[in-house]
Amino acid sequence: MRAAWRRMRAAERIALVMLAMITLVALLAPWLTPYDPFIRVDEPFLPPSWPHPFGLDEIGRDLLSRVILGVRLTWLPGLSIIVISLVIGALVGLVAGAMGGWVDMVLSRLTDLFLVLPSTLIALAVVAALGPGLINTLIAIVIFWWPWYARITRAEIVAQAARPHVEAARLSGVGGVRLLWRYLLPGALPTLLVTATLDVANVVLILSLFSFLGLGLPAPAPELGAMTARTLENLTVQWWLPIMPAAVIFVLCLAANLAGDGLRSAMRGV
Amino acid sequence: MTDPVLSVRGLSVTLHRDGVPNQVLSDVSFDVMPRGITALVGESGSGKSTIGLATQGLLAPDAAPLVTGSIRLAGAEVVGASAADLLHLRQKRVRMVPQDPLSALNPVMRVGRQLREGAGPGQRPEEWLPRVGLPDTARILAAWPHELSGGQRQRVLIAMAMMSGAPLIVADEPTTALDVTVQAQILRLLRQLANDQGTAVLFVTHDLGVASELADRIVVLYGGRIAEHGAATPVLTAPRHPYSRALLAARFDLAAIRTRPLPVTAGDPPGPAALRVGCAFAPRCDWALDLCRAEAPPLAAPDDAGTRVACHRTEEVQSAVASHGPDWPVVPEQTEAALHLTDVSLAFGALQVLRGITLSVRKGESVALVGISGSGKSTILRVVAGLLQPMSGQVTVKGGQPQMVFQDAMSSLTPWLTVGEQLMERLRPLRLPKPEASARAQQALAQVGLPPETARALPRELSGGQAQRVAVARAIVVPPAVLLCDEPISAMDVSLAAQTLNLLGQLRRQLGMAMLFVTHDLAAARIIADRIVVLDRGRIVEDGPSEEVAARPLYGQAREWIAATPQWRMGARP
Repeated sequence: MRAAWRRMRAAERIALVMLAMITLVALLAPWLTPYDPFIRVDEPFLPPSWPHPFGLDEIGRDLLSRVILGVRLTWLPGLSIIVISLVIGALVGLVAGAMGGWVDMVLSRLTDLFLVLPSTLIALAVVAALGPGLINTLIAIVIFWWPWYARITRAEIVAQAARPHVEAARLSGVGGVRLLWRYLLPGALPTLLVTATLDVANVVLILSLFSFLGLGLPAPAPELGAMTARTLENLTVQWWLPIMPAAVIFVLCLAANLAGDGLRSAMRGV
Repeated sequence: MTDPVLSVRGLSVTLHRDGVPNQVLSDVSFDVMPRGITALVGESGSGKSTIGLATQGLLAPDAAPLVTGSIRLAGAEVVGASAADLLHLRQKRVRMVPQDPLSALNPVMRVGRQLREGAGPGQRPEEWLPRVGLPDTARILAAWPHELSGGQRQRVLIAMAMMSGAPLIVADEPTTALDVTVQAQILRLLRQLANDQGTAVLFVTHDLGVASELADRIVVLYGGRIAEHGAATPVLTAPRHPYSRALLAARFDLAAIRTRPLPVTAGDPPGPAALRVGCAFAPRCDWALDLCRAEAPPLAAPDDAGTRVACHRTEEVQSAVASHGPDWPVVPEQTEAALHLTDVSLAFGALQVLRGITLSVRKGESVALVGISGSGKSTILRVVAGLLQPMSGQVTVKGGQPQMVFQDAMSSLTPWLTVGEQLMERLRPLRLPKPEASARAQQALAQVGLPPETARALPRELSGGQAQRVAVARAIVVPPAVLLCDEPISAMDVSLAAQTLNLLGQLRRQLGMAMLFVTHDLAAARIIADRIVVLDRGRIVEDGPSEEVAARPLYGQAREWIAATPQWRMGARP
């Protein structure tokens, strides 16, 4: 652990710490907001000031409180999408790569099928069919997100299986699930984790896009993408309305990207 | 007296890894004269390659190198030179012949263009290729690097280095990636060109045999310091440093005594210099005194033969008589077969790899499979191990799953599992209670000469030699009836190779294992095996007692090897 930490550049360490802090903020959001994010506290459009560092929005709600809650509503779904896709993709890829033969054939073609579907269209169709809402948006995104991880996992597993240490394990009498779990999957994990952290930014952006299109959370919810999108027209007059949530998205994506690079350096030894 | 081409004075280098400093060279001084070939000899980690790189100003910047002392290259100072000056130096004054000729050539540029790119004024590739033994000039010039053989590529690189007209060539293990036959030709070529062109060569190698064929001066390095430095003949015939003596003694060739273990120096190469007090070699040295452990010996003034030695006990070491251990115990010969292959054939697509192999190995017998790359020797092992299915023929193995020791021990260990976990994996089918299983693992570690703590280590914490021992321990923790060894010593330096041969020789006798040992080194085959089987293009072309096959091989290929295997050659050089 220590050595891994030392292998990272300073920026990557800061990014990891920041990502941890953002996650903490997301988890504790309801207790961190200085004001109720849903009710009017003062005159609308008050610029940033000491009591309201992010200013007030168009109906006089505290923007900082809304952004803090927004971190929760953007970051937690983003993380869930990554984790769920990762689990599905890794499982499919692992089975395909390790079994080979017709199983590999069927699973790989299935993966390809999901990959060739136009992603936005599918997502729109899913949300249209199930109705807008957080869970439905998650489902819609996971549907076109997992195949990437399946692809990567399968390729990694096939490469791992040819490595001498896996052959040595086979000769030692290791087989079946144990071989998968103890010898093949850990070898594929670094690549998979690094890819996933780099994807965090993409997922957050896509979530924002969904909100922007009105397919995410319904209007009053302070989702960061939605907030930015809705208030874009205020940019020249009340700049803080779109800039504050957008800046948080920017920081989140940057931290995730750098943390991904950091993980890559840290796992170089494996 | 002429000025030296390369003059290294008080060179110390500290490299950083993950921010931790490691002094790899301390106070190294030597000269290389024009036309001279100086060999830097030492095991991995001795700092020999670092000297080669420092000479060219090529130390990796991300290791944050800290260099003190002086390197004067044809009059110009390398230490502290600007990037532009270093570039100029590398163009005009020093060229490199690398270890891996393929990765040193640009794969998307034809050979001719690459040769012309670095050529000195008035030098033409058309004239140089015949001089490096490539008379087929037009074809070579028009070829892509991947179309040439390993030997041809190395010749091209030598031509490239020579054409620059640089007064110094640094050759870093230029022959380790090549077959023995080619190796000998390349060495001869370097020697001859150095003579003809008046080029000086700094030759980095772990192989004293290679050094003895080529060099006129030898610098023996140990733990980043010069242990012994002098003209080749006195250093090689009457070494005065215990480490040089050990290196010499560990060398085996076709005349080595095979009825007893090879003389070796026990122990591992030294750790980081910062933690070291006294002589770096003291922990492995039979002559070590308290003085050696307290105080590092300085490099003494040259003796009558001009040799300089860093040892407190030079006198005693030199007069000592070499001792040797007892012979191998005699194991009664068994008649029952442990392994039998009948008419085994295998093809990868259109490539026929094995053609009707019939081979039998008796219980407790050791058989060496020798042949050049592509002869099918490793494929036989993989078939016996069950990693490959033969297309026709029968494989009968007695006594359960054969175990295998791989060529690259480190990559045959799972990076994220501890040594103990990997050993225990083989005990799982026995369903032993946990304490008993870990006692068995400890016992296997002891059998290969590793301390019990090794069980808790991860592979990356092991040295190359330790990794090899762990790999052997895993193979014997439940003794198999058949042990397969796939070129386990080909990437090792001499002392490590000798240690490994001894270990395998001892274990197979002790545990009554039959052994199938793949190698391209006839000398090693003769020492480890009772019988040598020579393969050529997937066929067995020779099969006989090892002494006999090694002494008077009937087949052309094997004869060529003998001519090429570096022999202990003193004085008589071209």
